Amino acid sequence: MNLDQITITPVFPLWLILLLFSLGFASAVIQYRFMLGRLGRPRALGLSLLRLGAISFLIAFALNPSLVAKKEHKVSPAIAILLDTSQSMGQPGRPGKASRLEEAKALLTEGTNPLLKSLNERFEVRLYGVGESMRTIEVKELGDLKTHGMNGNLSETLKDLSGKNTLALLLSDGNLKWNEGQPTNLPIVTVPLGNPGEYKDILIKAVKAPSLAFRGREVMIDATIKSYGYTGLTLPVLLKEGNKLITAKNTHINASPGEVTVSLSFIPDEVGQKNLSISIPQQFGESLVSNNSVNLSVKVVRDKIRILMVSGNPSMNYRFMRTALKSDPSIDLLSFVILRTPSDILNVPTHEQSLIPLPVETLFSKEIKNFDLLIFDNFKYPLYLSPHHLESIREFVRGGGGFAMIGGPNLANEGRYQVSPIGEILPVRFAEKEDYRRDSKAGVRLSRAGVLHPITRLSSDLTGDDADRLHFWREMPPLDGFNLLEAKSSATVLLESSDGIPWPILTVSSYGNGRVLALATDYSWKWYMGMVAKGKGNHAYLRLVDRMVRWLTKDPSMDPVQIALPESAGSIGQEIEVRIKLREEDLSPNLRSMVSFSVFNPDGLKVESRIKPSGQSGEYLGSFLPEKGGIYKLKVATSTGSLEESMVVTGLLESLDAAPNHEQLKKVSASTGGKFLSTSDELLKEIESYARKGESRFIEEKRSSVWARPFVMILVLGFLILEWYFRRRWGLV
Amino acid sequence: MGEGGQTEMISRRNFLSFGLGLAAGLFFKAPKLLFGAPLPHFFFSQLKYRGGAWDPNPQFAEAVMEELELRTSIDGIKERRVTTLSDPDLFFYPFLYMAGKYEFDPFTPQERETLKRLLSYGGFLLAEDTVGAKGFGFDQAFRREMKQLFHDHELRRLPLDHSVYQSFYLIENIGGRQKVNPYLEGITIDNWTPVIYSQNDLSGAWSRDKFGKWVNECIPGGEIQRSAAFKLGINIIVYSLTSDYKKDVIHHPFIKRRQSS
Repeated sequence: MNLDQITITPVFPLWLILLLFSLGFASAVIQYRFMLGRLGRPRALGLSLLRLGAISFLIAFALNPSLVAKKEHKVSPAIAILLDTSQSMGQPGRPGKASRLEEAKALLTEGTNPLLKSLNERFEVRLYGVGESMRTIEVKELGDLKTHGMNGNLSETLKDLSGKNTLALLLSDGNLKWNEGQPTNLPIVTVPLGNPGEYKDILIKAVKAPSLAFRGREVMIDATIKSYGYTGLTLPVLLKEGNKLITAKNTHINASPGEVTVSLSFIPDEVGQKNLSISIPQQFGESLVSNNSVNLSVKVVRDKIRILMVSGNPSMNYRFMRTALKSDPSIDLLSFVILRTPSDILNVPTHEQSLIPLPVETLFSKEIKNFDLLIFDNFKYPLYLSPHHLESIREFVRGGGGFAMIGGPNLANEGRYQVSPIGEILPVRFAEKEDYRRDSKAGVRLSRAGVLHPITRLSSDLTGDDADRLHFWREMPPLDGFNLLEAKSSATVLLESSDGIPWPILTVSSYGNGRVLALATDYSWKWYMGMVAKGKGNHAYLRLVDRMVRWLTKDPSMDPVQIALPESAGSIGQEIEVRIKLREEDLSPNLRSMVSFSVFNPDGLKVESRIKPSGQSGEYLGSFLPEKGGIYKLKVATSTGSLEESMVVTGLLESLDAAPNHEQLKKVSASTGGKFLSTSDELLKEIESYARKGESRFIEEKRSSVWARPFVMILVLGFLILEWYFRRRWGLV
Repeated sequence: MGEGGQTEMISRRNFLSFGLGLAAGLFFKAPKLLFGAPLPHFFFSQLKYRGGAWDPNPQFAEAVMEELELRTSIDGIKERRVTTLSDPDLFFYPFLYMAGKYEFDPFTPQERETLKRLLSYGGFLLAEDTVGAKGFGFDQAFRREMKQLFHDHELRRLPLDHSVYQSFYLIENIGGRQKVNPYLEGITIDNWTPVIYSQNDLSGAWSRDKFGKWVNECIPGGEIQRSAAFKLGINIIVYSLTSDYKKDVIHHPFIKRRQSS
């Protein structure tokens, strides 16, 4: 035991310990003086020293002296071998190797002196797979290891490995996410896989497209094309909807690797979901074909509902309907009013009157397709329109347009037109004897179908519940005139006259892909002023017109449900959540339990999905887990209707840039203090020399308290016993 | 309108009044509006108020309605309906007409509320000061009532490109029995003018007795001024049924072209 092995850790402050020593010493001096006269100097001194020794030892307890024993240990370096298992590692490796992963396996396990075995003999080695997440790999699993998932995140991986390892050995093609500025104390030695010089591929790296487009307005889609090994090539970029080619553009590749952005544009002519794809044809020698196309989904909506309205004469019905249509900023109204008929006499030259001829040929032959809805308001159309115009109107409706005929005296005696194209599309036919009645007022009532139909259902704040809704319509002022019509068997009567024979007042039906409505009165404006007269405002009339227009034009807002998709495309393996909102009128308790949510994968197979209330009234959250890329169809059904939407789930290999990125590996090595090796280097030697630099030693320290040793206690007791013995002998006790 | 047009109108009226009119009148009654009966597309509803003289031109409607029938596609009826602000059917009258010479009693709060609601939600009022001079009884009383009804909107001169001047004829001259103002005034809310006010006594120019003779001379313009009054009347009626239809984009270039020709 050396003195330098002793350390003290006082249990009291040092000044207190020194004070105690001083007191002990003073008591020994006093004792000496006291005994000096009786025992003489030698004996008094001897006893006092014995007492001083005992006291000193006892006070020295407070210094808590310990003996420290130190022992040096060597630590064998721990090496983490990181094996990149992301999808790009499935691409061909160096010649003779089916994939980069196989190339990595060969590096670790093949040869006369396999690298993995050699490292295991010298160091503590752990093997990890780095894909979308990091996992430990047993050596025996190595043979069956497959590539899977998106590019791994090396930065996240290092957070888990730092502090536990001396060195990391990364075998990768460089397609890893790496945050260069991330601090780490784990040097990474990188071994590049794959051969960038031999890699050939053309891929659609990115697509910039709006998720929402407007019908009739140009949609621009930018596709960024990246290429490796095809310098000088000119290739077409195709935009398709299903198998139908929408547009194509050639692009020239100037460099390798090189990037070029191609802008594709088209003008959607129909509303609805458009499932599109951008593709480039496969080129000779391409390593990867699945990244040559990208799916995208664009929802086409109308910017405005375009309405063409022709009125037979200036009337209150025209003015109030115009007021309603003009008050809606989403409606673009083009209206014509027949201010004078051929039998009216004009008494001024043309330049003194504001009348313009009705451009029937332009409107009904050329421009009709640009409208969503055609309204004839008390319009004696046979006077103005030729048979081919009527044919054109029929085709317009058959193709998906809306048509509304508003009644009035001008339509009297029109029975002969029942065989015309207009008569064919109308949901009603004229009664034979009397076409227009103005001799008595007629109230209206909701039919059974009208109680539930979206046009007349209106909203509960206007009409209350079903019983109130019936009362609401009965309360409306009577009509001063209406056409006597008969509903066709395929039509649905929503409102009918409430006095006597229930003549249909508001009737709807479908024709081809379009919708048709007949309002058999030119006095519906009284519903507007009737409510105003009662002090209830004009909301009910405006709402009724709005609902008629939107129903006729199949506006999405009339869908029983709305589906809000996530803003970005979904990814495989990540749960996708969509928000489902029921229409306000469909929120009766019975309907809530009848909402269903189904999801169909790109192959048309139903996949597992869930639906749950979101916590907000009438709102649900639907979710599913996509297992493959492509376009998924989502279907929500309620008892009042259903809605289908589609969304894109990005495939794993879609847009995959699998070119070996050895520059990235060089950056990883440089920024972590590691080294970029080559497969041709003597890997074991390089790694060993690098690992040895990180070999560490540590000194183990053991402390044992001096007072815990028996001889110290014996020494104290010895002082006290010896003093007691001499006191007794010299007659002091 | 040129001279020729005016001559044609007089000839027709002479024919109607002295020829078929007198003879047929003995056998056929003009259609009468009955309270609660169905309403035709267009008719005058004349507002009867307290005080003043609510009916200065009782024979104004027939001639202008004949003109309306003859020139336009509007289905109208010659008989006017007399109404008050407490009439339960007031809100279903397409065209409220109010005329007078003298100051009238202020409307009651209830009447004001009704009239304001009517005019704010689509009703239409043509008001006329028929005295033939500015700033007298009816004029003062009417402006007072309009100020009470529409605090934020004043009676203002209607600009020359207002739809009322373009709704049927392209009006350049304002007619009437008197030429007090070369313009109409109105209260415009958004793009709709629910109140139009004239001080030229249009109805005085339209008035015709049962023998077909004009009741009043038009001063100073004579028959040209009367013809202009009829045209303006037609335009006001068409405006009340079509609003600012002539402001739609498709009409604009036509009207510009014709005005510049």
